[in-house]
Amino acid sequence: MSRIIMGVESSCDETGIGLVRLHDDGTVELLADEVASSVEQHARFGGVVPEVASRAHLEAMVPTTRRAFTTAGLEMSDVDAIAVTAGPGLAGALLVGVSAAKAYAAALGVPLYGVNHLAGHIAVDTLQHGPLPSPCLALLVSGGHTQLLRVDDIAGKITEIGSTVDDAAGEAYDKVARLLGLPYPGGPPIDKAAKAGDPQAIAFPRGMTGPRDAKFDFSFSGLKTAVARWVEGAQARGEEIPVADVAASFQEAVADVLTAKAVRAATESGIGTLVISGGVAANSRLSSLAAQRCAEAGIELRVPRPRLCTDNGAMIAALGAHVVAAGCAPSSLDLSANPALPVSAVSV
Amino acid sequence: MVAQMTVELATAEDTVDFGRRLGGALRAGDLVLLAGPLGAGKTTMTRGIAEGMQVSGRVSSPTFVLARVHPAGQRGVPLVHVDAYRLGGDLSQLDDLDLDTDLEESAVVVEWGEGLAERLSEDHLVVRLDRRGDEVRTVDLEPHGTWTARVTDLRLAG
Repeated sequence: MSRIIMGVESSCDETGIGLVRLHDDGTVELLADEVASSVEQHARFGGVVPEVASRAHLEAMVPTTRRAFTTAGLEMSDVDAIAVTAGPGLAGALLVGVSAAKAYAAALGVPLYGVNHLAGHIAVDTLQHGPLPSPCLALLVSGGHTQLLRVDDIAGKITEIGSTVDDAAGEAYDKVARLLGLPYPGGPPIDKAAKAGDPQAIAFPRGMTGPRDAKFDFSFSGLKTAVARWVEGAQARGEEIPVADVAASFQEAVADVLTAKAVRAATESGIGTLVISGGVAANSRLSSLAAQRCAEAGIELRVPRPRLCTDNGAMIAALGAHVVAAGCAPSSLDLSANPALPVSAVSV
Repeated sequence: MVAQMTVELATAEDTVDFGRRLGGALRAGDLVLLAGPLGAGKTTMTRGIAEGMQVSGRVSSPTFVLARVHPAGQRGVPLVHVDAYRLGGDLSQLDDLDLDTDLEESAVVVEWGEGLAERLSEDHLVVRLDRRGDEVRTVDLEPHGTWTARVTDLRLAG
């Protein structure tokens, strides 16, 4: 008998409700994926306002939930379990999702599972490409995270093997976009500008690639500074900034380091599958270079479609389904949000 | 009268060292504002401050999470590392972040906070970083309130 799992996501700007069907053979089918974003509200205030974020989640939660059930053609009474992002994320934002999920679980009399947002970004791939092989390697790249993870069991065993020591990759995109006068968030406009540029025009540094640097850690702060210096130098000489070339050269440096380290980590650990997820996974140069290097190394590459890569409730429902299928114990109704939840804690 | 003091930092390791000495002098309730352009070394200096304060947790850019709490170590004072870059200019919202710590019991370091964070406390130290040459950074210390007396005791130049 298949089971319906509802997923609740509210760790940052997106309020997401997902519904999936967990089949008896362990496969997970996507039924609904509804998202409301407070990004526009934040743009009006010129930045993220924590109270606005929490309030936006609060206002979006019930309508988004209703839309998800309508889309799936289900009643709330069809739900067998509820999964919710317990962390990491913004404390006030997480709290709204956790409180809503508790209320739904208590009202429906179904078990509640507090799960990890980062693991959700990996689990979402099973909605598109089926079960994950064990082990596999995941490269998680977004505005807030840049991590290389070994996944032995999506429902229970995830180990960090590298992460950024300073800025996240997406953050570097946002800051370089600002330097170049491009809009926020910086990923899409830089990707677009780069298409007309020469990726070899400027030799920007590849962070953390020296012989004494940690093999699988990342650093994007030096790259960001190098771009700032280059732009300031050109401005000081009264030159027009070749935005396309700067964007292409910057993007090349990011994609080069991310893919080189991911492929090396997979090769050295004898892992045959790489999953790239998170908002930056939608970047065209990152996916094309990853495809090329994975093919050369004989590694299977899996990248969920862009809609699944950004924050959503379907990823939490998918992870919840795997946690339920693995027979993990549900969370207590005392569950609290943990803004700094480590990726090793897949469910709490 | 505000006393200024300028120090030159030749390498990133010097920036960490400087932060380590500053961190060693920080107490509960202290407010430090880190100013300077992109890539001036604000996060790098915070890494040193965290080491000097002996707090736990890896220091990385807090831009995305807005603020990160580093739990107290042996010295008993937690570090709250804040980035005002995305906060859109209103640090009174720090309270709304529901940080898992009392700001008055912590040392608070704010990146991009100049002009915003002062009203949290008249007593504060502005650390203004700038880039020169290839690696060299300069740091200007601008003490306010009781920091005017404390800054001379810091021996920050090493």
